[in-house]
Amino acid sequence: MDPSAYIILSAILFTIGAIGVLLRRNAIVVFMSVEMMLNAANLAFVTFARMHGNLEGQVIAFFVMIVAAAEVVVGLAIIMTIFRTRRSVSIDDPSLMRN
Amino acid sequence: MTPSAPVAFPDIQWLQLAPIIVVLGAAAIEVLVEAFAPRTSRRSIQIGLTFAALIVAFAIIVINAGTFQLVVAGSAAVDGPALFLQGAVVLTALLVALLMMERKVDPSGDAFAARASAMPGSEDERQFTARGYLQTEIWPLFLFCTGGMMLFLSANDLLLMFIGLEIMSLPLYLLAGMARRRRLLSQEAAMKYFLLGAFSSAFFLYGAALIYGFAGTVSFGGIADAVVGQSQMSGLLLGGIVLLCVGMFFKVAAVPFHEWAPDVYQGSPTPVTAYMAAGVKVAAFGAFLRLMYVAFGGEAWEWRPAFWVVAILTFFVGAMIGLAQSDIKRMLAYSSIAHAGFLLLGVMAVTPDSLSASMFYLLTYAIATVGAFGIVMLIRDDSGETTSLDAWRGLGRTHPLLATAFTIFLLSFAGIPLTAGFIGKFTLFASSAAAGEGWLVLLAVIASAIAAFFYLRVVVIMFFSDPVGSGPSVATPSWATQTTIVVALIVTVVLGLFPQAVLNIADHADVFVR
Amino acid sequence: MSILTAAQAVLPMSDGAPAENVEPITATITAAQAGGAFPLMWLLFALPAVGAAVLLIVGRRSDRWGYLLACALPIGSFILACILLAQMMALPEADRQVTLELWNWTFAGSFDAAFALRLDPLSISFVMLITGVGSLIHIYSIGYMAEDPKRRLFFAYLNLFVAAMLLLVLADNYLLVYVGWEGVGLASYLLVGFWQYKDSAAVAAKKAFVMNRVGDVGLSLAIMLMFLTFGTVTFSDVFEAAPEASETTLTIIGLLLLLAAVGKSAQFPLQAWLLDAMEGPTPVSALIHAATMVTAGVYLVVRSNAIFDLSTTAISVVLAIGVITMTMGAWIACAQDEIKKSLAGSTMSQIGYMFLGAGLGPAGYVFAIFHLLMHGMFKADLFLSAGSVMHGNDDQKNMRLYGGLRVAMKVTMVAFFCGFLGISGLPPFDSWFSKDGIIDAALGVNVFAGLVALGVAGMTAFYMTRMLAMTFFGSPRWAEDQHPHESPPVMTVPMLILSIGALFGGLFFVYVAPIGEWLAPVTGYEESTPVIPEIPLKLTSLAIAIIGIALGWRKYATKDVPRVAPTNVTILTTAGRHELYGNAFNESLFMRPGQYLTRWLVWFDNRSLDGLVRGIATGIGDLGGKLRLWETGYARSYALSMLGGALLLGVVVATARWF
Repeated sequence: MDPSAYIILSAILFTIGAIGVLLRRNAIVVFMSVEMMLNAANLAFVTFARMHGNLEGQVIAFFVMIVAAAEVVVGLAIIMTIFRTRRSVSIDDPSLMRN
Repeated sequence: MTPSAPVAFPDIQWLQLAPIIVVLGAAAIEVLVEAFAPRTSRRSIQIGLTFAALIVAFAIIVINAGTFQLVVAGSAAVDGPALFLQGAVVLTALLVALLMMERKVDPSGDAFAARASAMPGSEDERQFTARGYLQTEIWPLFLFCTGGMMLFLSANDLLLMFIGLEIMSLPLYLLAGMARRRRLLSQEAAMKYFLLGAFSSAFFLYGAALIYGFAGTVSFGGIADAVVGQSQMSGLLLGGIVLLCVGMFFKVAAVPFHEWAPDVYQGSPTPVTAYMAAGVKVAAFGAFLRLMYVAFGGEAWEWRPAFWVVAILTFFVGAMIGLAQSDIKRMLAYSSIAHAGFLLLGVMAVTPDSLSASMFYLLTYAIATVGAFGIVMLIRDDSGETTSLDAWRGLGRTHPLLATAFTIFLLSFAGIPLTAGFIGKFTLFASSAAAGEGWLVLLAVIASAIAAFFYLRVVVIMFFSDPVGSGPSVATPSWATQTTIVVALIVTVVLGLFPQAVLNIADHADVFVR
Repeated sequence: MSILTAAQAVLPMSDGAPAENVEPITATITAAQAGGAFPLMWLLFALPAVGAAVLLIVGRRSDRWGYLLACALPIGSFILACILLAQMMALPEADRQVTLELWNWTFAGSFDAAFALRLDPLSISFVMLITGVGSLIHIYSIGYMAEDPKRRLFFAYLNLFVAAMLLLVLADNYLLVYVGWEGVGLASYLLVGFWQYKDSAAVAAKKAFVMNRVGDVGLSLAIMLMFLTFGTVTFSDVFEAAPEASETTLTIIGLLLLLAAVGKSAQFPLQAWLLDAMEGPTPVSALIHAATMVTAGVYLVVRSNAIFDLSTTAISVVLAIGVITMTMGAWIACAQDEIKKSLAGSTMSQIGYMFLGAGLGPAGYVFAIFHLLMHGMFKADLFLSAGSVMHGNDDQKNMRLYGGLRVAMKVTMVAFFCGFLGISGLPPFDSWFSKDGIIDAALGVNVFAGLVALGVAGMTAFYMTRMLAMTFFGSPRWAEDQHPHESPPVMTVPMLILSIGALFGGLFFVYVAPIGEWLAPVTGYEESTPVIPEIPLKLTSLAIAIIGIALGWRKYATKDVPRVAPTNVTILTTAGRHELYGNAFNESLFMRPGQYLTRWLVWFDNRSLDGLVRGIATGIGDLGGKLRLWETGYARSYALSMLGGALLLGVVVATARWF
């Protein structure tokens, strides 16, 4: 197996995620982009685990999923309150604080 | 019946882990308290539990002093730096908890929203406030955050470090959004902090993945061995280091990863801001030091140039923009950014002296920061806290003691002799210069001279400006806030005059276990 | 030849210098070993510090008695200083450097910055000057500030100043010097801006503060470098270790110390703040901006003699700065019409003499300090007299509107005249000994500097005569409703006491208690032989002083002085009136960018005290103001900045690998 293809794929996913964070306005989509970056990391972990022939990477992937789930809980709660206040989930709207 | 082979139980060092277990365990119990205890007694139970957990944790840390070992199969370290900084975190947490329980400065309750879920300006919110509801979920969140910090700075592999990072951060994202007043700003702060924090975590995690790819392990010791036995794959290594550092730079608020800090500091409830500025800084630098010293210390010459750039940017940008701020919380945010720049000198030096100097610096900075924010809480107008610098005009005339206390904190930030901040800065700069970064120290001295101006500006505003209108309105705090301010003041002055005892402790704790 | 013999018989020729070369002694003894009152030396600065604290903390309740306390404490310090002086004179010469460690401020392993004091012939001389002149000025201020509603605050700041200044000269290490150094800067800032309702005072305070900060950075860098080089900042250790350091290092340390000294002592190129600082109350000008604080730079250079002796570059720069400022100050003093500003120019010039003396190395240190002490007395006398003149003339400062005051203000005139005698270099008064000591030594070391110093002595006599004549002689030019009157005794008595110092200080320190022998064990002394033989030199200097006086008298006493400054004057006078364009220079360097920057600093709303930063911020704040726009408020742009940062790190690391 040539692991480099997986690594490249994971790098592409990470980049797409990062670009998504920069370009999308919808907070939910931005958040999904972040999740994509986390999953890109997961893919890399699993690939490397396979490459090195140990299980650490795979175990880490599970932990990351759990952390990501916790993050979703917190994130959605925050986005919800903002939505209820502003009736919008655009992340450009809350920009009262600057300079 | 064939006798089965005895199962090898992993050896868990309960005593060494006890501080973290106590804090996180108490947090879990507090969640149950939220569910089952009656509303009337909830708050007192939560506060009692929180203080009990923190005090017990601190006691165990003291008992553990001198421990120097890896625990839970090498995942975490209990050594001098971990214990020293855990102690600093717990002390900070105690002081912050006192600020959190303050109910006298705001006529309608504490610093937190009656119901964070209620829409700002809605009838619901008005009702909740009128009934005097107090949100008690802040206490378990606060303890989780504290436990996360302790875990973060003693983690000895990348996985546990990531988990510590998240346990520390997630509760903070929520706490940031819970200010009683100016709900819109608070929610905005929470969202910015959360999205950018998650973004930075992703970088950290991807960096961890690359390091794992390079070393085949995530434990710091294993990485260090792989780094020393350099192979041709060091592209992965450097990429990994850069991405890990992005995550860490974000947490410590180094330029150009700092931009969340002023907004989040401004919008969050002030006790939470204090905790972000003090506790997070200690924990993140503790973890950062361990990461760079233990895992990548052998490769220091490779990553150091990146730190030069970031450190120089950080202390200069922090000092310069701080000069142009008119909001006290934003100004303190830039102050904390500038301090992060100075502390990066300690991270990149990779010498035991720099480590102990950084730890001392962190301790003094954290305590003075909590004290300063404690005073910020007291300057108010009808709509709650007022953080505009105009509100501080003439404070020295109307409230000389308060203004003097704030001045001492500011002088400590500025590194004026006879304050703890001076000793911290001096030892840090001296150790950094001894590590061969003399020119960087020179730049840092210039930056701290610039930064001194914005601290002195506040002093001038307090003592020599004529008050606007009837002068600043200052709330009279309860014993809790008073205790925080007084303790912070005493520590700042005493460590300025007689630093040797604490410096000795830091000096004896200047080696990471591997 | 007969003239020379006659001159030798009539003119006092000695200059108080030791008879032979002296090497500085570095060994010190502790206060406990010295015994007596030495262990109490901390009281010297503690007393006024307590005064400041009490007056500030007790607040308005101490309005009625606070100023008396504030006067009593420096007097207490003065009495203690007298006791210590007597005791020190009884000690053998080698044991006169006494240290007292108050508490051990050592930290970080090797670093020793114990909170330690050091009393030696040099510092006790300063202590006597500070407490003596300081006490007199405190007393004078009772009368001068009698009607000021904030008198208590004034005395609190004055006490604070005395405490900080004493700490500065008593410190046993550079770090503690720095503490005192900042303390006097703060007190000076507070006192210059004491009448903040006057915009000019607030601006002047700000300016003084800013320019002093430039110097202070020099001191902090010097301390840091010293620590890096020697591992210590204690005087005796640094001086012992100095010969082992490279000359480049010593030169850098020396120049940084000099930067600090130049800022504090208003020497070229950081001289511009001193004239503006005259906006402060006159006792402040007398104490801080004439007698003590502005001479701290000279103290620093002389104290650091071990460093300057080893770096020819650094000491040459000291000399050059002395020569330049000496001339500039005299020039400005000749052209200014405000009495205090003219005196301020004179102060610059006289401190220039001291820098010149210090720049001569071991040959001149003792004379620099000698002149400093003399200057402290006669200049304080002159300032207090000037203050008395202003006090009696509705705060009129313009000398063109004085004239003929000798009738109305006899005592003041006597005091001013004594000061005049002290400064103008006539035998046998103060400057005759101290200034000529510097000129003699200069002619032995650097002929050019010596000749300039001789010339400036003439200018000194000229501008002092101008001041004397414009104020007290000629025809009255004051306004109808101005009724000049003599000041109360609480003001005139201190003036008269200082007059005695201005007249006989020189004689005392040459014939009764030779100052050179007293100081030489600290500063070292090296005989120098002037290129001109002694007696002709003395005669020349006397002749120059008399010519200066005669010219001044002819121009300002025998002719009418116009009430409005004439405009058809030479370019030299114009330049002098504009303080040699020091402000224009600063403006283009500091202020213009500062005004530009206000566009971003809208929140500043021109309040004077915030302007403190505006002055400093200048270029820095300009950048800061722009950088703030970086914070757009949009989370996405923050994310972009983070991504950019990540790329930046990658590029830096990759580039670093490349090399």
